[in-house]
Amino acid sequence: MSERTNERGAFANAGSEPPGEDRTREPAKAADTPPRAGTPSRGRVLAPALARVTPGRRGWIAVAALLAVACYLPFQLVPFRVFQFTMVMVYAVALLGLNLLVGHAGQISLGHGAFFAVGAYTTAIMLDRWDLPHLATLPIAAAVAFALGLAFGLPAVRLRGLYLALVTLAIAIFLVPLLKRFESVTGGSMGLTLAKPAPPAWTGLAEDQWLYFLTLAVAVLAFLLAYGLLRSRVGRALHAVRDNEAAAEVMGVRLPFYKTLAFAWSAMFAGAAGCAYTWVIGFVSPDSFVVTLSITMLAGIVIGGLGSFSGPLLGGLFVMFVPSISQDVNDAAPGVIFGLLIIVVMYVAPTGLAGLAGRVTRSTKNILRKE
Amino acid sequence: MTGFLQQVIEGLGAGAIYASLALALVLIYQFTGIVNFAQGELAMFSTYIAWQFTAAGLPFWLALALALAVSFAGGMLIERVVIRPVEGAPELTVVIVTVGLFIFVNAAAGWIWTFLIKDFPNPFPGGALEAGGLSVGYSTLGVLAVVGVVMGLLYLLFQHTKIGLGMRAVAANPASARLVGIRVGWMLALGWGLAATVGAVSGTLVAPLLFLEPNMMGGVLIYAFAAATLGGFDSPGGAVAGGLIVGVAETLAGAYVGFIGSDLKVGVPLVIILFVLLLRPQGLFGRAVVERA
Amino acid sequence: MSAEGFLTISDLNAGYGDARVLHGVNLSVGRGEICAILGPNGAGKTTLMRALSGMVWVRGSIGFDGADLARRSPDTIARRGVAHVPEGRGTFMPLTVEENLRLGAFTRRGRGTVEADLERIYTYFPVLKTRLRQVAGSLSGGEQQMLAIGRALMSRPRLLLLDEPSLGLAPLVTRELFRIVRTVNEQERTTVVVVEQNAHLALGIAQQAHVLESGRIVLSGTADRILQDEKVVQSYLGYRV
Repeated sequence: MSERTNERGAFANAGSEPPGEDRTREPAKAADTPPRAGTPSRGRVLAPALARVTPGRRGWIAVAALLAVACYLPFQLVPFRVFQFTMVMVYAVALLGLNLLVGHAGQISLGHGAFFAVGAYTTAIMLDRWDLPHLATLPIAAAVAFALGLAFGLPAVRLRGLYLALVTLAIAIFLVPLLKRFESVTGGSMGLTLAKPAPPAWTGLAEDQWLYFLTLAVAVLAFLLAYGLLRSRVGRALHAVRDNEAAAEVMGVRLPFYKTLAFAWSAMFAGAAGCAYTWVIGFVSPDSFVVTLSITMLAGIVIGGLGSFSGPLLGGLFVMFVPSISQDVNDAAPGVIFGLLIIVVMYVAPTGLAGLAGRVTRSTKNILRKE
Repeated sequence: MTGFLQQVIEGLGAGAIYASLALALVLIYQFTGIVNFAQGELAMFSTYIAWQFTAAGLPFWLALALALAVSFAGGMLIERVVIRPVEGAPELTVVIVTVGLFIFVNAAAGWIWTFLIKDFPNPFPGGALEAGGLSVGYSTLGVLAVVGVVMGLLYLLFQHTKIGLGMRAVAANPASARLVGIRVGWMLALGWGLAATVGAVSGTLVAPLLFLEPNMMGGVLIYAFAAATLGGFDSPGGAVAGGLIVGVAETLAGAYVGFIGSDLKVGVPLVIILFVLLLRPQGLFGRAVVERA
Repeated sequence: MSAEGFLTISDLNAGYGDARVLHGVNLSVGRGEICAILGPNGAGKTTLMRALSGMVWVRGSIGFDGADLARRSPDTIARRGVAHVPEGRGTFMPLTVEENLRLGAFTRRGRGTVEADLERIYTYFPVLKTRLRQVAGSLSGGEQQMLAIGRALMSRPRLLLLDEPSLGLAPLVTRELFRIVRTVNEQERTTVVVVEQNAHLALGIAQQAHVLESGRIVLSGTADRILQDEKVVQSYLGYRV
């Protein structure tokens, strides 16, 4: 996997370039810093390193290089490895959505896997019942997930971050028995087995390579879409929501609107990823989408880097390879590693959460509160 | 009618378990303003410790007492080591840390004790109390009694001891609590210790009904969330009432709403959470909280 | 300026995070004195109080009866006999009046003396005795301020820090409060540092006064002298909250 290591470096470099768009943010206001005796400037302010939204000029060169390597890769690796990297991209697309929600809009979701499952099942059912061409399922799966995200986003926006986490967790837990229940459509516990998209003869590609390139295309599309979203007014509105809801509202950002939208988009990316998942695996069953998937995704994006451009890809690599490598040691090893890494990342490098330092906790507020 | 009452009794038995875990959640929420997503996993881990003691040949109640003591110390330790560094950090950060703790504790239990299910001894006799056509299992009665005792002890602690008063002061106004000389950090640790102990009780009540395995509390946690949301995250009494209501609602829905059946019962807490949050976010017994920006 | 220097602050810098609010403050308060801190909004008066009780970062030294309080935690400082009635009163809203008072004696042992102190507080603030079982959050602003001072006295403080006790209160209530503070000071020899917008009132009970501006002491002297200072009269005494 030495090839990959190089690219990871390339991506990391891309991330550390100056952002194409200058997003200066004030350091946390003095009054917001919890006063702690004897600690002048050290303290709770999460490192104010600004998360990179988009790569800079040199970053784009790195991205192009990465793409070139990505195109070369499937011709050099054994099919199993190609499959693994395909899955990395599937997860990266899903994490792109989660990053939008958690990293950029500052809302927490413990149910991202549910929307991933919605995309996967929408695709599976369309293939199973109506025999739609594979490519046609992608926009539909994304749209269905988007619509569901919108529907859940509407009540969700009224919730404080904590409660959104509760509700999304409950959704993720509820989904599995729900999928099992509607057996006639979903295939119940047995799931559905589907044909994978066949490589057209003119390409001369093997199935695994074709799936790889299809997924790569979806990933590139998704990254471009996310890039566009974040560069637009909308992206700035999301950051305003994350950094300070109250201030954002005062500045005229229509808070409920953008929070709902962030939720729906995040669901849409998850849906698209779920669609690619079904193409690649050719099989869906409720037990592939248990709540652990949602939690693993959150772990992936936190470790990959919240709010950063390369976070979803790094997160995808983590989600794919940490289990496959460490499972040999012990079944529980991936969990131990993920759990520890999440905590450590939140201590030392909560990139992308930087702006959240503006939100102060109750204890600080009480000290500073003027009644 | 008898059938209905019977269902209510079953529901109360289940509800008492949800109530105990909800109580643990509320204890921590009161002091720190955070919901501990790892609460269920800590309870599961405590249950394994109790199991380990019984497996070593100790009598059940002694094993339980030791496990509770270990849980108390462990809860305090976790607060000092894991939570302390993010104290005062944004809510999102703290939530993610507790999720990390969730994953870690779950996996650690799997590593130590494997993911194979284990039998956990039921401390209560089998059989049931029969009266007026109703049958109340001794184990249901036992669960209700244990939760009642826990509730009573917590009440005594908070209302009638100096340390309990100090803890309530910290929950009410940490800055001011410091100014009257209360060591707030230790009170927070104490709160985590208590929560872990109460959670351990809940885990040992669940384990005999299900099987002991690392993922056993996942489902219970969501019911406990519903219970705490319904009762109000800042109201211990509300959490217990909420737990009982959730338990009864779930059992009745499973029994009488044909569509729900036994498999979709887990949708009940989801519906309850959503309804409460949209209609009365502070819960039935909670104080309306000023929205923290 | 008193020679004993019961409380001696030297070269004190303090602030929040990167923002320094106090710049090299020096002042000294004698045992049993009442010292008033005056100054415009944002001068750093509240920060000075918070520095004294360890709520903000501090550089410099805070000598208090032979010990240095600088860089100690708020609870340690409270245990040393410093009672701080913070701006906004620091009431434990959901707790009862009696519980609030008992919390003032949290660091003390001995049940008997606590009961005696409760009685003593009721003689200062009879109204509190009629509301013992009431939730503190339901008290009026003036009653809450009395409760806050009562809570502080329950710790039998050697140094009482009052931050804007008159804030938001009716003039009559404020006058009553200051009368009680003076009584406490006379009867129990409690040293008091009071931050106050209402300079007239504060100077009425204080022996010493210091004027703080932009984090520096710009004027110090006896209360009488400050009262005669034209600049202060113009700047602060004309301005009544």
